[in-house]
Amino acid sequence: MNRRELFSNFRPVWVPDEPIASCGSELYPNAVLQTHDGRSVRFYDDLLKGKQVVINMMYANCESLCSTVTSSLVKVHDALKARMGRDLHMYSISIKPEEDTPAALKSFAEMHNALLPGWTFLTGDAYDIDTIRFRLFRMNHIKLDTDLNSHTAMLRIINETTNTWTCVPPLASLYTVLQHISWADPPKSLEERLEDNKRLQQQIDKEVRQYGYRKIV
Amino acid sequence: MPDVKVPRRRVTRRTFVKAGVTAGAAAVLTSRKSTVQAQQPPAPPAEPVLCGTTPPVSPATTPFVDTLPVPSPAIPQFLVPFPTEQANIAGGEAARADHQRWLEFFPNILYQMEAKAAVHSFHSNLLPSYLWAFNGKYPAPTPLNYYGLPTLVRFKNNLPVATTSFGRNEITVHLHNGHTGSESDGFAGDFFGTSLFKDNHYANAYAGIDEFGGNGDQREAMRTFWFHDHRAAFTANNNYLGLNGMYIVYDENDPGHELPIGDTLRLPCYYGITDIPLILTDKRFCAAGNGRNELFQVVGAGAPGGDKWVVNGKIQPRMTVRRRKYRFRILNTGPVKTWALSLIKPDGTQADMTVVAVDANFLEHPFVLNNGPLTVFVASRYDVIIDFGAFPAGTQLYLKEATAQNVGVATPDPAPGLPIGNVLMRFDVVNREFWFPPDTPPVPGTLCQMPDPLVPDASFEWTFKLVTGRFLINDLEFDANRVDHVVLKGSTEEWTLANDVAAGNWTHPVHIHFEEGRIQSRRVRVSQNPDVFQNVPLTFDELGRRDVYPLPPQHRVVLRMRFRDFVGRYLIHCHNMNHEDAFMMVRWDIVETMEELSTKRREIDRRRLQAGLPPQYKGGLV
Repeated sequence: MNRRELFSNFRPVWVPDEPIASCGSELYPNAVLQTHDGRSVRFYDDLLKGKQVVINMMYANCESLCSTVTSSLVKVHDALKARMGRDLHMYSISIKPEEDTPAALKSFAEMHNALLPGWTFLTGDAYDIDTIRFRLFRMNHIKLDTDLNSHTAMLRIINETTNTWTCVPPLASLYTVLQHISWADPPKSLEERLEDNKRLQQQIDKEVRQYGYRKIV
Repeated sequence: MPDVKVPRRRVTRRTFVKAGVTAGAAAVLTSRKSTVQAQQPPAPPAEPVLCGTTPPVSPATTPFVDTLPVPSPAIPQFLVPFPTEQANIAGGEAARADHQRWLEFFPNILYQMEAKAAVHSFHSNLLPSYLWAFNGKYPAPTPLNYYGLPTLVRFKNNLPVATTSFGRNEITVHLHNGHTGSESDGFAGDFFGTSLFKDNHYANAYAGIDEFGGNGDQREAMRTFWFHDHRAAFTANNNYLGLNGMYIVYDENDPGHELPIGDTLRLPCYYGITDIPLILTDKRFCAAGNGRNELFQVVGAGAPGGDKWVVNGKIQPRMTVRRRKYRFRILNTGPVKTWALSLIKPDGTQADMTVVAVDANFLEHPFVLNNGPLTVFVASRYDVIIDFGAFPAGTQLYLKEATAQNVGVATPDPAPGLPIGNVLMRFDVVNREFWFPPDTPPVPGTLCQMPDPLVPDASFEWTFKLVTGRFLINDLEFDANRVDHVVLKGSTEEWTLANDVAAGNWTHPVHIHFEEGRIQSRRVRVSQNPDVFQNVPLTFDELGRRDVYPLPPQHRVVLRMRFRDFVGRYLIHCHNMNHEDAFMMVRWDIVETMEELSTKRREIDRRRLQAGLPPQYKGGLV
């Protein structure tokens, strides 16, 4: 950008807000990935745009943590059944795309009772997946992020419409995982938030009465 | 040194009047700008345009153009609705437990800090930048307080409801390292959304209220605090956007004036005149094309740090100083960068800086630093005294940072061996005018009396690990809903902070909420044998009391602390804000009774067993 452009674009600071625009494909790769049922989808256009998503990294023949994480995600799915596939989606992306064919992912999902609406297992080109991993999980150290064992570090939660990014350790309690997912929920109206605030105060008062201190909240 | 009387009465008319005079004088002398700012239109600035994903190189800035700004003192005000002990839900207050010790320390000074979007120019060569700031000012106004005068700060969330910035419009404000009840401590999980407010009650009492009565143990005095947003997982973002400020508490030994009245140490102490905060941070800017130089999101690992060094909201400012002593309260607001500061004379050699306080606590004896830099980790505070009377008028001195910033304007080296990029700011020495406060006497050889040595009732170890990219403390990641250690109110514990991360990794500035610790020893693992340690001699700043403990890999820091006066939920975390956002944080609770203690400890061990982890309380519950 040159100086002239800078000043021709000058806009006084008191101009009213424009509607919120997502940072869109500038931030997210738009690579083509394969789903576990063999469809080709674009990462940004088809999977992220206008949606709230929960993303984790896995591979099919991973023995230790992938299974634990997947079974805890099944519980999360169960708790959020009503929203799954509508405004909330879950994606499990393979980090061994050379091994994990769509069929292999499908059988992994079947084995874990994870063939559920709104939950997609994804594979694709290794380079594309590395790019996606780096962009999405940049809270982690770059060097660690290329470590095959580090994929279980976080669940990434993104709401593309409000440009909200957050994450949660997948092995935290269900209560905590749901709480973190709700941090990326579409903004609530002031009335709803005041109502939530009132409920929270009632819960605090109840716990203080019952236990003498704040227990959970 | 002034004789320390213990216990100390709470408030007398004399202390009240003195505090009023101090705050009033400081307000008159330093807040000229605030009346001008108040006339600006209140409409919030347009939301920012993102800088993109490629780290930009910040625009060029000419050194020493701007004068060093000083955050104005916060002005006490009347609050409507009036603060209450229980959360005023109907009036729009965020949910919280009731204030502790409310009537005992009924707040008689009230402030309001409104978090909102604002624009701020970091340099005359830069266009304004969008940020979030308390009362729209960066750095935030500084509340000047006095021990014995309890305050209440109403933090109001007026951040934009929808934002394109990388911040999170929910806040919870922590007073680092206030001796406050948990509901006023800014616990990371207690954030609240826009249009709500929360009253943080600060007793401004010394620790030891139960033990000593009245206003606590005067030897526990802390002076230089700061407050900042602590929103779980978004602390780095919100602090980088500007949600932080300084908070100072005076008492008789350090009263906010320099007159020889009472037991004063007579350190330079006129806020904004001879007592200057230096709030350090690093920023990176892009030309966003919207008439602004927006902040690039440098937070998140893998993202580069800033390439401009900022002092009190200005890049490479200059400050005119009179030939006398000055006190600087150095604060590193992060989010990540560690500073290594030294004062450089025009001939390139290092000048004396006398360190009098570390992390809000006076050192027992001042330390003259003239050989090597002062290392300031994130959230650490160092009060230093510089005697400009040692230099003739016309001398220019430079505050040097060990790493270089990007200046972008070719400038000759200001001093031999000092490239312009390493200069944080410049001091221009002039003769003292007749109206300027006269010099203070030399810094006393003894500044304070340390509290009695602590005898621990129990010991506990916190082990920091890095396993497959996850930061773990005692094998678990942070969960605001889970407590990992419980202590009894009034008890003393010896805690070991152990960093088991491989050598060559980060040094974690570990911060423990609520209480100051006395470091007992520091050891480092020296061989492959996990049990072979070597003692590391304590540095001058570890001999006093601290609240941030730098923890390099393979180090063990043993410290003792006592948990008095308040109960609730507190935190330990790495104050590298990227790390705390990546769950390098842990919750611990202070409880009132033995019964609660054993119930909660049993619960912790049961949960650890379920998760396949060894129990924590092997030798019994207490």
